[in-house]
Amino acid sequence: MAVNPVALGQPERRKGKPWDKAYPYVSITIPFLVIALFTIYPVLYAVRISFYQYILTKPKSHPFIGLKNFQDVITSYYFRTSLVNTAVYTIAAVIGVTIFGLVVAMLLNSKFKTASALKIIILLPWAIPAVVAGLMWKWMLNSDFGIINGILYALGLIDKYIPFFANPTLAKISLVMAQIWKEGPLAAIFLLAGLQLIPSELYEAAKIDGGTGWRIFRFVTLPLLRPIILIVVVYETITAILVFDLIYVLTGGGPGDSTSMISWFAYAEIFKNLNLGHGVALAIVIALITLVLIIVYLRVIQSEETISG
Amino acid sequence: MTPKFKQTLNSIIVNFLIILLIVYIGGPFVWMAVASIQGENELLKKPPSIIPQNPTTDNYRYVFTGKIPTSYEVKGQLRSRISQEARLIAPALKNSFIVAVTVMLINLLLGTPAAYTFSRINFRGKKPSYNFILASRLMPAMAVAIPYYVIILSFKLLDTYLALILIYSALTLPFTIWFLTLYITNIPRDMEDAGLVDGCTPFQALTKIVVPMMAPGLVAAAAFAFMTSYNEFLFARFLTQSIKSQTGPVIIASIAGNPDASYSLISVCITLGLIPPLILAVTMRKWLTEGLSASITFR
Repeated sequence: MAVNPVALGQPERRKGKPWDKAYPYVSITIPFLVIALFTIYPVLYAVRISFYQYILTKPKSHPFIGLKNFQDVITSYYFRTSLVNTAVYTIAAVIGVTIFGLVVAMLLNSKFKTASALKIIILLPWAIPAVVAGLMWKWMLNSDFGIINGILYALGLIDKYIPFFANPTLAKISLVMAQIWKEGPLAAIFLLAGLQLIPSELYEAAKIDGGTGWRIFRFVTLPLLRPIILIVVVYETITAILVFDLIYVLTGGGPGDSTSMISWFAYAEIFKNLNLGHGVALAIVIALITLVLIIVYLRVIQSEETISG
Repeated sequence: MTPKFKQTLNSIIVNFLIILLIVYIGGPFVWMAVASIQGENELLKKPPSIIPQNPTTDNYRYVFTGKIPTSYEVKGQLRSRISQEARLIAPALKNSFIVAVTVMLINLLLGTPAAYTFSRINFRGKKPSYNFILASRLMPAMAVAIPYYVIILSFKLLDTYLALILIYSALTLPFTIWFLTLYITNIPRDMEDAGLVDGCTPFQALTKIVVPMMAPGLVAAAAFAFMTSYNEFLFARFLTQSIKSQTGPVIIASIAGNPDASYSLISVCITLGLIPPLILAVTMRKWLTEGLSASITFR
């Protein structure tokens, strides 16, 4: 390959060498194999486990039990609660993150000096481990010496410290607050990218036509941002349904089962009850729910695109 | 209301809102750093002091040298278990760093050629293999946690860097390949075509012509791969067993999971653990933002 063909007077494109035929396959082989090893086999294995009794406290007996794991999981005491919890949490988190993202994106797109400071730090929560984010909030919201209680108390807004994690509603709100803090920045950056794609002539035209702030937002900005808002909603829905790290450290599913989401129970079945069959069956149910949502969303996005041309 | 007054009022409200957001986003980080230089007894006051009264480096000294902070002696509470665990943070962050940098390099070395192939070369099986790589990202972590454990166990790789590196590569490569494929597709082909006419192989066209043009995309892809690996918790939690391979998030979660946890030591561990991603997020801000924006606006 070291020969310079130009020097040899070969101006036409070289072709037909066996290496050129093989090259595309060579270049994708290793990544493809690594990904396949950690995709195909695990999925098949997981499906297999879900049809057998796999309880670690009964290591010698793994009978085939058909769909019993799925039946057990779906009729379990926690299935309904966890579905409701997950749905409430997902809806609250997605709405919260999207509105937060929209507001921050609009502010970052403005010309205020303070906005450039916000721009520098906005990505920080996104860049850190979710476990650590959860711990930071857990400690700041601590009922005995948390800084948030401290500040509210020092400002005279409360008489005594609020036990954020002892009350089911407050625990849920805390969790959503932490999720918005962690996920909102990414949504803001996505929506900012969308805002910057909108040609400024459109705004000028709207102003000449007598549009005011809110009406321009409602009838110019929002419709043009629609595709990106949809993507943010899809992405954040999946993130919220699968949320685990944050709950693991922040509430541990409590108080009671009030913040126990469906993926938390999958974890609990596997690592606490040591019932792999149940845990994996539940994980597969979660995967199917997510898949259905993704398909529905993709349909929506596609129909959007055909409508808008 | 005169228009001028309305404008001033508007700007005050907007600025106030932005400052509120800055406090919400940045406050937790500042508080962790401030708490890490305070003694335990100051943190447990009601309310805690936001500005440290007696700033001290004792907590950091303890984590690195094992010298017990004086504030513990005053209170007579020597929490030996948590103390010992907090001292694991430095080796744990070293583990995180080694794993994350290796995964990052693997992503660049393997992901870039694969992305170039998907973007520029037609070959049999292109579409199905590309779709397979993308679809692999839809797999829920919890469902494959047990199979991953079984694979790693049968390779005799439990509690090793290699186990984490393999899994994180499998988790990050699909994003890297997808992202770089889009990135390369958006680069005009003229230069490469000239190179190919001059007799470059596709690989030479990639390394000599395309790579220099896609530097921002590579930086963003590298940063994403690093962060994903550095931040991952679930798999690290049960594929590592000792400080030989336990990563930062695992150790931090374990320290904080102790009900007897020392808050000043936790905040030291958190502060130390956050330094690499925060430096990355601030210094790479431009590329990360461009990369993220590109990933959502490319079609």
